Amino acid sequence: MVRILTYCLIALFFVVHIVAVGKLTDQHAALQKSGYQNQLFVLPSPILKVVALDYDGVVSDYLFFKGITYIGGFASRGGRFQLNESQWQGFYNILDVSTDLDPYFQDPYYFANAFLTWDAGVVRETNVLLKKGSKYRTWDWSLPFFIGFNNFYFLQDYDKAAEFLMVASRRPGASTTLASLASKLAFKAKRTENSIAFLEEMIKKTDDESMKKTFGTRVEAFKAILVLENAVDDYRKKFRRFPVNLDELVKKKIIIEIPKDPFGGKFSVDSQGAIRTTSEFLLLPYHR
Amino acid sequence: MTVLWPIAVITIKEGIRNRAIYGISLFALLLLGLNLLIANMAAHDVGKVAVDMALSTISFSGLLVVLFVGINLMAKDLDKKTIYMVLSKPISRSEYIIGKFFGIVLILFSTIAFISIFACACLFVLKAGYATYFPQFSWSLVFLGIFFILITLILLSALSFLFSSFSSTSFITLVLTILSYLIGQSLSDIKALIETSRITGAAVSPITIQVVNVAYYLFPNLSFFDIKTQVAHGVSIPVPTILWTVLYGFVYTSLAITAASLIFRKKEFS
Repeated sequence: MVRILTYCLIALFFVVHIVAVGKLTDQHAALQKSGYQNQLFVLPSPILKVVALDYDGVVSDYLFFKGITYIGGFASRGGRFQLNESQWQGFYNILDVSTDLDPYFQDPYYFANAFLTWDAGVVRETNVLLKKGSKYRTWDWSLPFFIGFNNFYFLQDYDKAAEFLMVASRRPGASTTLASLASKLAFKAKRTENSIAFLEEMIKKTDDESMKKTFGTRVEAFKAILVLENAVDDYRKKFRRFPVNLDELVKKKIIIEIPKDPFGGKFSVDSQGAIRTTSEFLLLPYHR
Repeated sequence: MTVLWPIAVITIKEGIRNRAIYGISLFALLLLGLNLLIANMAAHDVGKVAVDMALSTISFSGLLVVLFVGINLMAKDLDKKTIYMVLSKPISRSEYIIGKFFGIVLILFSTIAFISIFACACLFVLKAGYATYFPQFSWSLVFLGIFFILITLILLSALSFLFSSFSSTSFITLVLTILSYLIGQSLSDIKALIETSRITGAAVSPITIQVVNVAYYLFPNLSFFDIKTQVAHGVSIPVPTILWTVLYGFVYTSLAITAASLIFRKKEFS
């Protein structure tokens, strides 16, 4: 009798266990969706350094992995990562603390540069982070190159960009074109040409195929813009005014056809002769 | 020396009989297996994550050996009163302490060597698979890192001897050793924390500053021996730094053992 009861109890517990696991899985998922758990929190680095004892490196690895898996949760196909301001702040903080614990760690800088500039639009803060890395990783040219790129592309601070490109060009393994790019910048040459040169350098530097593809599309778009800019210049020299629209360039046989925007946008020309595109939001930095 | 050797040998035999050492080694091997999976997750710094994990595994399992095997070996003689039998032989109490210490140093050395062989094998496999992601990797730095971990553990064992020379139970020795480990590892960071607070203008009481300053010279600064970050990134360590660090470890260990044998000589067994 007792034995049968025991077996019945075990069977009952087993059933309750299965039901509880199922229920808790759903409830836990709901909790995570509710946003309360959707924030990243991290202790300030001076305290974490004390708590981490002699395992600073491992804790730094852990924080970095936590950060990228967190941001991976927001991944969407082809679009921007949809995080709100405090979520981006959390991501920034975790990378900042991770690199405080191990300032030589390359990956957090790499991911900070990939996401915080293009997607979050926090360029100045990202540069602060990258400067920390550049100070420690003295053998690595990519970090000052990233700072230079950000200054040029997002902040339009050409002097700063030239300064950091020069730093990058002096480091081992740096591409030979960096120095000439820096000197070109010092002369404040045309923005589109420099953008193409910069992005081509980025393609060389990146080993992630999807990033390569995105940069490649951007280069294509800038090349199309460059063709149009040159055409508008020619038009102005010929007729001493800017064209009203781009079709005029074709009509007056300055170009054979209007190049296609690889992002699927439509090119146009404004009254100042500057080339615009309806897909500009994909080409230019994100502004909140 | 002739007296020290038999004591050291007995200590090693006792240590090997302790099951904990097998458990700790198994735990270390599991962590190293995990390393093979985790290091893959890094985008560029596979080498850094792999070295971090390997050295931290060695350091942590070594710490467990000091705390749960080393202390037991010393304290068991006192707890189980087997020390009466040893001291009735024609050896001095200092010889007993030093012989015992050598035994524990040898146990630590062989355990660390055993785990290190697997850690290096693990690094070797990862390096063969991801050669381009180990740009600054250097084996000599890895061995230096392991050597420094060994010095830390020997120093900590010496401290545990000092504590067990005056404490009545092994539990108190364990607590004191863990405390000195925690203090030793965080001394530099806490000193830096207080100094930055002073620079930024935050109020730090003068007593705190004094306490930290006294602790800074009294307790061993174990962070001097922690070069895991530099090893992971292949940042070279200057030779004078290596020599000073080894000297510091040697001097502190000798001081602790000498103090332990002096106190132990005066100890009354009840």
